[in-house]
Amino acid sequence: MTGFEPRIIAFCCRHCAYAAADLAGGSRLNYPESLHIVQLPCTGRVDVLHLLKSFEEGADGVLVAGCLPGRCHYLKGNLHARQRIDHLHQLLDRIGFETDRARMINISAAMGARFAELATEFTERIRQLGPNLLAVSAQSPATQSPGTTP
Amino acid sequence: MEQAGHKIGEEMVGAVLVVGGGIAGMQASLDLADSGYKVYLVERDSAIGGHMAKLDKTFPTNDCAMCTISPRLVDVGRHLNIELLTDSQVETITGEPGAFSARLRTKARYIDLERCNGCGECAEVCPVPVSDAFNEGFSQRRAAFKLYPQATPDGYAIDKRGVAPCRDACATGQRAQGYISLIAAGRFDEAYRTIKEDNPFPAVCGRICNARCEDACTRGQIDAPIAIRSLKRFVTDTVLAGPRQLLEPVAQCHDERIAVIGAGPCGLTAAQDLCRLGYGVTVYEALPVAGGMLRVGVPEFRLPARIVEREIQDILDLGVELKLNTPVNSLDELVTEGFAAVLIAVGAHEGIRLPIPGNELSGVLINTQFLRDVRLVEPDLETSPAHDIQGRQVVVLGGGDVAFDCARTALRLGASEVQIACRGSRGVWPASEREIKAAREEGIGLHIGLDYLGLIDDGAGNVAGLECERVERFEIDENGRPIAHVVPDSRFTITAEVAIFSVGQKAGLAFIPEDAGVGITASRTIAVDGNTYATDRPGVFAAGDAVSGTAFVIEAVDGGHRAAETIRRYLHGEAVERVASTPVPVAVISDSELDTRQAQGEITPTPQVPVLAMAPESRATNFAEVESGYSKAQAIAEAQRCLNCGICSECLACDFTCGVDAIVHQMVEQKRQIKVGAVVLAPGYQTYRAELSEEFGYGRFPNVITSLQHERLLSASGPTNGHVRRPSDGQTPRKIAFLQCIGSRDQTHDYCSAVCCMYATKQAAMAKEHEPETEIRIFMMDMRSFSKGYEGYYKRAREKYGISYSRCRISGIKEQPKNKNLLLRYLSENSSVVEEEFELVVLSVGMEISQEVRDLGHRLGVELDDYGFCQTVRFDPLQTSRPGIYAVGPFREPKDIPDSLVEASAAAVQAGGLLAARRHSLTRTAEYPVERDIGEEEVRTAVFVCHCGTNIAGFLDVDAVARYADTLPGVIHTEHTLYACSQDNVAQISETVRQTGANRVVIAACTPLTHEPLFQSCLRTAGLNPYLVDMANIRNQCSWVHSHNWDRATAKARDLVRMSVARTAALEPLTTSEMAIERAALVVGGGAAGMTAALTLAEQGFPVHLVERSEELGGNLRQLYFELGEFGIGASLNGNDQPASPSQLLLDLEARIAADPLVTLHLASELVATSGFMGNFTSTVCDQHGTNHEIQHGVVLVATGGVEYRGEEYGYGSRPDIVTQQEFEARLASGDALPDSVVMIQCVGPAEQYCGRICCTTALKNALVLKRFKPEARITVLYKDIRTYGFKERLYTQAREAGILFLRYDDDHLPVVETGEQLAIRVYEPTLAQDLDFAADILVLSTPVVPPASAQRVAACLKVPFDMDGFFMEAHAKIRPMDFLSEGIFMAGMAHYPKLLEESIVHARAAASRAATLLVRDSITVGGAVATVDQSICVACLTCVRTCPFGAAHIAENLSGVGGITGAATIESALCQGCGLCVAACPAGAIDLKHFTNCQVMAKVGAMFTPAQQEPQSELVS
Repeated sequence: MTGFEPRIIAFCCRHCAYAAADLAGGSRLNYPESLHIVQLPCTGRVDVLHLLKSFEEGADGVLVAGCLPGRCHYLKGNLHARQRIDHLHQLLDRIGFETDRARMINISAAMGARFAELATEFTERIRQLGPNLLAVSAQSPATQSPGTTP
Repeated sequence: MEQAGHKIGEEMVGAVLVVGGGIAGMQASLDLADSGYKVYLVERDSAIGGHMAKLDKTFPTNDCAMCTISPRLVDVGRHLNIELLTDSQVETITGEPGAFSARLRTKARYIDLERCNGCGECAEVCPVPVSDAFNEGFSQRRAAFKLYPQATPDGYAIDKRGVAPCRDACATGQRAQGYISLIAAGRFDEAYRTIKEDNPFPAVCGRICNARCEDACTRGQIDAPIAIRSLKRFVTDTVLAGPRQLLEPVAQCHDERIAVIGAGPCGLTAAQDLCRLGYGVTVYEALPVAGGMLRVGVPEFRLPARIVEREIQDILDLGVELKLNTPVNSLDELVTEGFAAVLIAVGAHEGIRLPIPGNELSGVLINTQFLRDVRLVEPDLETSPAHDIQGRQVVVLGGGDVAFDCARTALRLGASEVQIACRGSRGVWPASEREIKAAREEGIGLHIGLDYLGLIDDGAGNVAGLECERVERFEIDENGRPIAHVVPDSRFTITAEVAIFSVGQKAGLAFIPEDAGVGITASRTIAVDGNTYATDRPGVFAAGDAVSGTAFVIEAVDGGHRAAETIRRYLHGEAVERVASTPVPVAVISDSELDTRQAQGEITPTPQVPVLAMAPESRATNFAEVESGYSKAQAIAEAQRCLNCGICSECLACDFTCGVDAIVHQMVEQKRQIKVGAVVLAPGYQTYRAELSEEFGYGRFPNVITSLQHERLLSASGPTNGHVRRPSDGQTPRKIAFLQCIGSRDQTHDYCSAVCCMYATKQAAMAKEHEPETEIRIFMMDMRSFSKGYEGYYKRAREKYGISYSRCRISGIKEQPKNKNLLLRYLSENSSVVEEEFELVVLSVGMEISQEVRDLGHRLGVELDDYGFCQTVRFDPLQTSRPGIYAVGPFREPKDIPDSLVEASAAAVQAGGLLAARRHSLTRTAEYPVERDIGEEEVRTAVFVCHCGTNIAGFLDVDAVARYADTLPGVIHTEHTLYACSQDNVAQISETVRQTGANRVVIAACTPLTHEPLFQSCLRTAGLNPYLVDMANIRNQCSWVHSHNWDRATAKARDLVRMSVARTAALEPLTTSEMAIERAALVVGGGAAGMTAALTLAEQGFPVHLVERSEELGGNLRQLYFELGEFGIGASLNGNDQPASPSQLLLDLEARIAADPLVTLHLASELVATSGFMGNFTSTVCDQHGTNHEIQHGVVLVATGGVEYRGEEYGYGSRPDIVTQQEFEARLASGDALPDSVVMIQCVGPAEQYCGRICCTTALKNALVLKRFKPEARITVLYKDIRTYGFKERLYTQAREAGILFLRYDDDHLPVVETGEQLAIRVYEPTLAQDLDFAADILVLSTPVVPPASAQRVAACLKVPFDMDGFFMEAHAKIRPMDFLSEGIFMAGMAHYPKLLEESIVHARAAASRAATLLVRDSITVGGAVATVDQSICVACLTCVRTCPFGAAHIAENLSGVGGITGAATIESALCQGCGLCVAACPAGAIDLKHFTNCQVMAKVGAMFTPAQQEPQSELVS
C-alpha cells in the first residue's frame, strides 16, 4: 500500500449500474471510498468531453457503467458509450496517458456484488498506476480533496 | 350475457379488486388505475412481485428479471389510485357485476406500514434466524424482514406465528423465547433488558422460579425443554457481574401519592410501575429488610441476599421511597396522610401450627418464623435458631418447597439428622423435583404416604418424636376435607428432638380491623375483585400472597403489575375494569412440523446442558449458593436448542431500535369490507412439490434441487451471488442434468406447464455463461419453444452454449454415497441403456394451483377444474363462471410471463368496460400550490442530511456533514433529521423550504431511484419546481459501503453533499406543457383481433376507425371451423347468449360492429400515411375508389394479422391431395370426400426457422375432427416436437388414445414424398433404424402463419420495426408484449405472432387496454427532462436523427441553423425519452439534455475535486 488513495468518478446509468450500486450498498458490501458516482439517464449520455474533463479536474480513474449489452433501456445507449470509450482510449494513447484509467463496465441491476467487485478491481488498478500526473501538476496540494488526505 | 343483471349508473362502483400481486396483478392494476379506476391490489405475501421477482434472467431476452420488474414495483407502490393491501386475502365476494362487496382479511404484520420507512434496522437487530423462502431455503433471513431488497411496499414485516408457549405459560408473560434468542446471539445485555421489561426480579426468578415456561416448552416434546430458568440466571449473573449502571430517577409528573404496604416482590413491582408512570410511591415494610419472602423466606443457599438487594436497589433508584421497620397499624392512618391509593401487599408470613397432639411442646418451630430468624438473627446470638438445632434430630412436617428449605437449613445449622415427613399420598410431593433431589443428595430422610398422629412428649414437655401411620391414599370428601385410607397396624415413630411445622402460610392481617371497610375471606386472605384487585374500600387495592394465598414469586410480580395498572386507571378516572386486549394466538408447532424439521436435519435431538452444583458433601455445612450457573459457552449452546416456536421471539430488540415507532407487537388480524365494480383474479401458481415424487430423491439427496432453487443460485442477488454451488459441498458442479416435466405431463398432471422447456434452457445457458466448462444435459420429451423468439433461443442454447438435449424421461435417481453425485439411467440415441453420473440435478418443476388458491376459488364461487385451474367462457376467455369476475395468468392455464401480462391487460379493459360509466368517480389526483417563479433569484440552497436511524448516523458523522454543508456556496439552511422520508419530516422539509425562501434543495439520504419522486413532490408542495432537488446518496453509496471506517465515510459523505450542492446550483426549473389528445383510435386490420380491439375501445366510449383491406371483416376467422372448446380444452364454459362456434362468433362481431355508433368501418381501404405522435396522429386511409380520408386519432392499433404459409415444400401446389391444415379444415367442415388415410407433416417451410406455435394444436385438432367423423381413418403425424403447450397437451393425449400414430423425424432425415398414383411418404425411424413408408389419401402440411405482405406498408406508415421473422417487434418481448416502442402505437393478435383464436381475442383486448390508458387522459404532459437543440449552431448533419432510438429528432425545414442555413434539427418533446444519446452524439454540441446538461454534469464532477474554502481544519480526516 503506497498511501495513495485514488479519486475515481463513476458515471452510472440510472437503469442498471446505479441500481446495482444501490444493491451493493443494501447488501452491505464494501468497496473503496475512492469511487464517487454521478448518475446519468444512460451511459449514452456520456460525452468524451466529460471524461477528459474529469481527468483534467483531477480524477485518477473514470468508470463508465452501463447496462449489459443488448439490455439498454434506450436500445443502444451503452453501445454508443462503448464506442466513445474506445475513441477516448485512442486519444489517451496518442498523448501517452494510461488508457487503463478509463474503463467501461456493463452490469445489471441485480449485480450488486459484481459492482463492488469491479469497483474494487478498478481502484486497485488505478492504485497501481499511481496518481494522475496531469492533475497533480495542475493542482497545488492545498486544493486536494479532504477525502484523499492520508 | 355481459349486460344481464348488471348494475348501471349510480349504483356502480368505479373501483376494481385485483387479487394477486405478481407481475400479472401488477399489470392489471396499473392499466386499471391508469384508465381512471380505483384499484385495491390484494396480495397474501408481505410484498408484491410474485415469482418474477425471484427469477434471475428471463427468456428469450436474457433480461435481468429484477431490472425489468423493479420500475413497475415502484410504479405500483407510488400510484395514487392503487391501494396496496399486502398480507391480505379475500374472504368472500357478494353482490353482482358493477357492485360487488368484498370481505378482506389482513393478517398482522406487526409493523405499521404508515410509519415504517424501510430503514431495516429492525432486521439488523432481530436475533431470530428464519429460513429464507425467497431464496428457496438456501439462506437465512431474520424474523423481522423485507421479502427482498427491492420489495414494494418498501417496509418491513415481522414473521410471527404467535406468542411462544413459554411466554404464554408465564404468569407475567416473560418473553422467554425473546431473551433465549438474544442469548443464542451472544447479546446478553439486551437479553437482560428484555427480561427486565416484564420482571423487576430476574436474578431472583433465575434461581427460584417454578419455571412453568419449561413445562410448556415445545422442545420437551423432542428431548428436554430448554433450561430457561438457568438461562435467565446466566444472563442476570453476567450482567450483574459488570459495573452497576445507576438508573435515573423518574420525574414525578402526578400530584397523587400512593402507599404500598409490604416490600415483597408484589409490592415492589407495583411500586416500580407506578413510579415509572410518574407517581410518588412510598413502600412501608415492617421488617428491617426489604424483599419480603425473598429475603426472609428463601434461604441464602438458594437465593443470596445480595441478589435480592441488588434488584430492589434498581427499583429504589427510580425514586421509590422505602420505609423499613415501619409496620402499618391502621389503614385510616395512610388515608389521612394523603395517599390517594393504597396497595396492600403484605404477603403470607404467618406459619400454621397444625392442630395435632403435642403441637405446643418445646422444640416445636414454625417454618416462616424459623427461616426468618435464620436470615435476620446473627448466628452467634442466643436467640439464633442454631442453638435449638445444633447436634439434634429434626423432623419437618410438610412437603412443599418451604418444608425442604426448612430441612436443608436445619442441616446447615448442624442438625445431627434431618427428616421430612409429608402428609399425603405416596410419591406425590408438592415440592419441586429439584428440591427433592438436592435434599436427597444432602442426606435428608424423606417420608411420604403417611398421616400425622401427634408429636410425642418426652415426659418433660419436649418433643421426642413424631408418631405417624401409613396411608394408602387420601380422598377428598364432599366438604373438601381429606379422608385418609390408613394401612392397618402401620403406626411408626420418627425420632426427633425438634419438629418444624411447614404446612402453609397465611397473611398477617391484624392491621385491618373489621370496620376498615376491607373484606377478609374465610381463608384469611383479603377479598378483592379478581380482575382489578380493588378491595371493598375505594382507593384500597390488594395483591400478592395476601390475596391469593401462598404462590410463586412470578405470580406476585404479575399481581404487582396488574395492581399498578388498575391503580393508574383508578387515579385517571378510567374504568378500573381492565379492557381485555385481543389475544395474540399462542404459537403451536404441530407434531408433523416437528417431524419434518427433524427429518430435514433442522432439529437434532440434543440433551439439556447440565447446570453445575456444589458437591453435596461440601455444601451441607454452609450457606453458600448450591448451584453455579452456566458458562457463556454453555448458555449459548443451551439457547441454541430453542425451536423459535413463535418465530418472532418478541424480544423487543426491534422495538427498542425503531426510530419511528413502527413496531406494534400487539397488532391483530383486521377485517375489512370494500365495494368494487369488478374483480380480476391473478393469484398465480405454485411450483410442483418435488418431494412428492420420491423417486427423484428431492429433500433426501442434497444435490437434487428444483429449478426455482437453481434460479436463486443463478441470481446475482441470490444466496451465492450468482455462482452455482452444489448444496452438499459448495463446489461448482461440472456436470448438471435437468429433468423436464416434473409435475407436468405425467400420471397426475395431464397438462404441460408451458414454461419449463424454456426456463431450463435459459438456466442451462446462464449456468454455462457463469462456468463455460460445465457440461449440461437436459432430459426431455419434446422441446416446447413455441413462442416468439423461443426457437432461436433453443438453437443458440445448443449451438452457442453446447447444451445437450436427450429425449427421454428419467424414471429415478440414485445417489453415490461417497461424493453425493447422482446416477441417472437413460436410453441413449442408439437405444442402449447408459448410466451417467451428474454432480447436480435440477428438477424442472411444473405449475400447480395451490390449495390456498383453490379455496379462494371455491369461496368466490368461480368454477375450477379438477386441478384447481379456473374455468372460463368460450370466446370470452377471461370471464369466469361468475360475471364481473375475470381470471388471468397461470390460474387459468399454465403460461409464461408475456402471456400472463397480455391477459392481465385484457382483463383490466374488460373490467373497465363494465364500469366505464363510473370512470374517474373514485380516483384522485395530487394537488399542488402554484409554482413560485424563482426568476433571477440567486441560489439559495437548503440541505437536509438524513440519519436514516442509524443506517447513516451509525457509520458517519451526520452532524459534521451538516455543519460542513453549511459552509458550501449558496447554502442558506442546513439541518439533519432522523428520517427525511417519514411523513411528518417530508411535511416539515416542505415547510422549512417555504419559510426560508430556499430555491434549491439537497437531500443527503438514500437513493433517488426510490425516493426522488417523493422529494420532488415535497418541493411541489412547497411551491417549487420539482426539478430543483438533488439527492446525495450517502446511504447506499457511503454509510453502508464504508461502514468500517467512520472518518473516511464522513469525508466521502461531505464529498457527495458538496457535489450535489454544486449540481443543484446549476439546476433550473423545467416546464412541462399539456397537449390535448385526440380521443379516438385507429385500428388497422379487421380480423378477429381488429374487430375485438375496436369493440373493446368502443365499449370504453372511444370512437374507433376500423380499417380493413378486404371487402369483408373476419380475416382468418372465416377459415376457422372447429375450435378447442369443443374438446373441452381452454375456455370451454358455455356462457349465456354467447356464440357457440367460430362462425357464430364472426356473425356476432360483425353485427356488433355494424350496430356500434362509435365504430367507423373502412372496408376495402388501406392505410397510406400517418404523421404525428402519441395523442395526435393524422392518418390517411385510401378506399377502393382511390379516395383519401384523413383521420385524426390519438392511438393506433396494428391488427394486420397473418396468413398461412403456402410454399412448394413437399410438392405442395403440384396436386390436390397435398393440402395445408387450413385447407384440410375447410374440407373437414364441408364433410366432402373424407380421406381414409392421412399423413401430416409438421414444421414445414418457415416453421423450420421459428415455431409456428399453433400448428401442432391445429394438426391434432383436425386429426381428431376427422376421427370424429370417420373413426376408422388412419392418421400418421410426422413431427419434430409436439408442442401442445398448456392444456393443449390434452389434445395430444386424446389423439394418441384415438389411435393416431406419431412418428418423429429430425432435420437430418426429412420425410420424402413419393408422388405416384397414390401418395407415399417415407420417413426414417431412428429406433428401428430403417425407413418406413406410409400411403396416404391426403398429405396435410402444417405450415406456419406468416405476416401478410400488407404489413410492410403499415410498418412504413407508422415507422415501426419487424423482428427477424417479419412479425412486428414489441417494445419488450417480456413485459410489453402489445406495445410498440413508439408510444401510442400498439399491436393486436397475429400481427405480433401466430396465435390461437382465444389468444388473439385476449391479445386484442390487451392492446385496447394499453390504448385506453392513453385515451382516458385529457392531455399528455410533454417537456421536462428532454433534449433541446440550439439551432443557431446546428449544421443539420442528421446525426441526431440517426441516433435517436425513438424518432424524436428531425430536421425542420422552417428552422434555420448555423449561419442561417435552411433546415435545422429539432426534437419533438412528446417523443423524447430523455436518454441523451443525441446530446453526446451531436458533433456541433448543439443539443443539451435538460436536467442533465453538460454544465450540471460537470458541476458535479468539478465539485468532487474542489473542496470548499472554509472547511474547518479540525474536520480534516486524520
